[in-house]
Amino acid sequence: MSFQKLTGHDFSPNIFICKYCSVLPFLANKSFVLSVEEETTALTALQFIDYHDKNIFRTALKAVCCRSKQQLNEFDALFNQYWKEIADAGDAKLKQEQQPAAKPVVKDASFKSLKAWLNGKKSDEIEEVASYSLYESLSQKNFADVPDDEVEELMRNIRALSKRLAAHINRRYEKDNRINLPDLRRTLRKNLRRGGELLELAFRKPKQNRTKLVVICDVSRSMELYAAFLLQFMYAFQQVYKRVETFAFSTSLQHITQLLKQNDFHAAMRLLSAQNEGWSGGTRIGKSLHAFVKDHVLKFLDKKTIIVIMSDGWDTGDIDLLQQSMEVIHNRSKKVIWLNPLAGYTDYKPHVAGMKAALPFINVFAPVHNAESLRSLGKWL
Amino acid sequence: MIQLNDIKQMLLQQGYITDESVAMSVFLSLKLNKPLLIEGPAGVGKTEIAKVMAKALQTDLIRLQCYEGLDATHALYEWNYQRQLLHLKMTEHTAQSIDEKEQTIFGDAFLMKRPLLQAITQDKRPVLLIDEIDRSDEEFESFLLEVLSDWQITIPEIGTIKAINIPQVILTGNRTRELSEALRRRCLYLYIDYPDFEKEYLIVKNKVNGADTKLATQITKFMQELRVMKLEKTPGIAETLDWAAALSALHIDYLNKEIIEQTLGVVLKDWRDTRQVQMSLSELMEKTGVIPKIDRA
Repeated sequence: MSFQKLTGHDFSPNIFICKYCSVLPFLANKSFVLSVEEETTALTALQFIDYHDKNIFRTALKAVCCRSKQQLNEFDALFNQYWKEIADAGDAKLKQEQQPAAKPVVKDASFKSLKAWLNGKKSDEIEEVASYSLYESLSQKNFADVPDDEVEELMRNIRALSKRLAAHINRRYEKDNRINLPDLRRTLRKNLRRGGELLELAFRKPKQNRTKLVVICDVSRSMELYAAFLLQFMYAFQQVYKRVETFAFSTSLQHITQLLKQNDFHAAMRLLSAQNEGWSGGTRIGKSLHAFVKDHVLKFLDKKTIIVIMSDGWDTGDIDLLQQSMEVIHNRSKKVIWLNPLAGYTDYKPHVAGMKAALPFINVFAPVHNAESLRSLGKWL
Repeated sequence: MIQLNDIKQMLLQQGYITDESVAMSVFLSLKLNKPLLIEGPAGVGKTEIAKVMAKALQTDLIRLQCYEGLDATHALYEWNYQRQLLHLKMTEHTAQSIDEKEQTIFGDAFLMKRPLLQAITQDKRPVLLIDEIDRSDEEFESFLLEVLSDWQITIPEIGTIKAINIPQVILTGNRTRELSEALRRRCLYLYIDYPDFEKEYLIVKNKVNGADTKLATQITKFMQELRVMKLEKTPGIAETLDWAAALSALHIDYLNKEIIEQTLGVVLKDWRDTRQVQMSLSELMEKTGVIPKIDRA
């Protein structure tokens, strides 16, 4: 496609412009999503600027090609890299390198930063931790791979998304075909002060969704990388959505609804750790769910309640107990949602004994490895 | 024909201190007729760009403030049914047929235009500010996509209204949630971060009448240091300007510990932040040169 064709203006294509334009395929190879439309826009933009000035050209291209903060941060380095490669290659054809392979993060580093964050230590030192992709959005980043300097922002994002999700579910209405019809009784009552002259209409309002939620979160050692983010999610969710009861377990079950009502999340976490001796220890899902069935099912579970269990399913306890408890929970609730952080990995299969035992009683089995997966929880609530 | 330098001049004339990337994005957004999506922390002047553009282009600014639960009705139009009822009551005993009456009450006089409809029916191309788009629901974002690409709105009782002039659209967001890729694709993207010392100093000098040079320097240095601290709510330029204006109004031309403590509430809006800053105030004052540095070794 010639430049003239793309822009629709009387531009004579020359080597200079063609050279400049080849930066677009280069960027496209580096994870910038540039369709024909974007390329057309980029080329159209050229006619309005002095494209001989490299700095102006760079700023214009940046404005047209970038769609996120991450891309803006990376653009200048890539632009310079392009020109360096051009210079190195002379006039020969530009050899496009394959995108560098993803480097897995050192999990210890993430874990350390998470610990520091939970203890309220806000370190100014930024540790160098490799990340999967330069362009990977924070909400899609696996909780286990979040580097030190992004924990704070991710927690902020989770708080915001959790509150939005809770507000969204709060606003939902039960399905009713009679909504938007005038409500005669309320209309007459509203207009009584005007002597019955109908000026203000009242409409039938749909019934608000009154679904109750019970969330049970596994905080054992195997879930430690995820638990802080999940607890943050539950903490923020509970501030907006009032019909929720929250529990946490590792070797025993603890009802934490009241604890999460603290003003400060860090204070809530400190209280939780102090009260729970088995915090971050082994996992007894069966025993914990049995305790839930024994002590809380009658009070909190009914056919209007959705139960969400967040766990990786690694159980070191009695599997039969887990199976029996799951059956009771399944029979008494509206829906059982099991969120497993390991399910975020493409090759994951629920082969562990605990997970296998629970699967027949689960209505929704989904991953909970990043902020995006937490957002999609809204689909099932 | 407007050139890049004209945009810089226009923004500067309206008191908006800008840099190359902001000017280029605004310029290309105008030239390419593309909406401009501006993201950045609170209080860095995202909304201000739309206001300044409207002033510079001498056109109307139409603002659609987004919030959770905002729906198409509140963004497009509503029928003034109270007025319709009154009109029907008044024409009860006239010889008009039902069809005629219906035609009258579903006319322009009874239509309450909301920001989107208002924006496409203006004679002069307005600036449409869709503020805090990330606060709206995903459903509204999808609806907005449709309007932004077709620039026409269908009202069942009237028909389809096509845009007289396509408005200059500015969308802002605080990144409280990820916006859809489809919306991003339709827009030019601009991220405004907290300003560096030079830019913030210029903004203070330019925006706050009577701001003393020493005071402006001290305030700017102090704010720059505050942003390095990890606070719950990092103060933006808006807070800097409020603080500078407050201190100027009090005829204060330098900072000291007492003044900072008394006026900290103008800058910090979270009790945890206030406590944190109060605890490290001496160190902050040393760093910003408000008090001479003490060699602790």
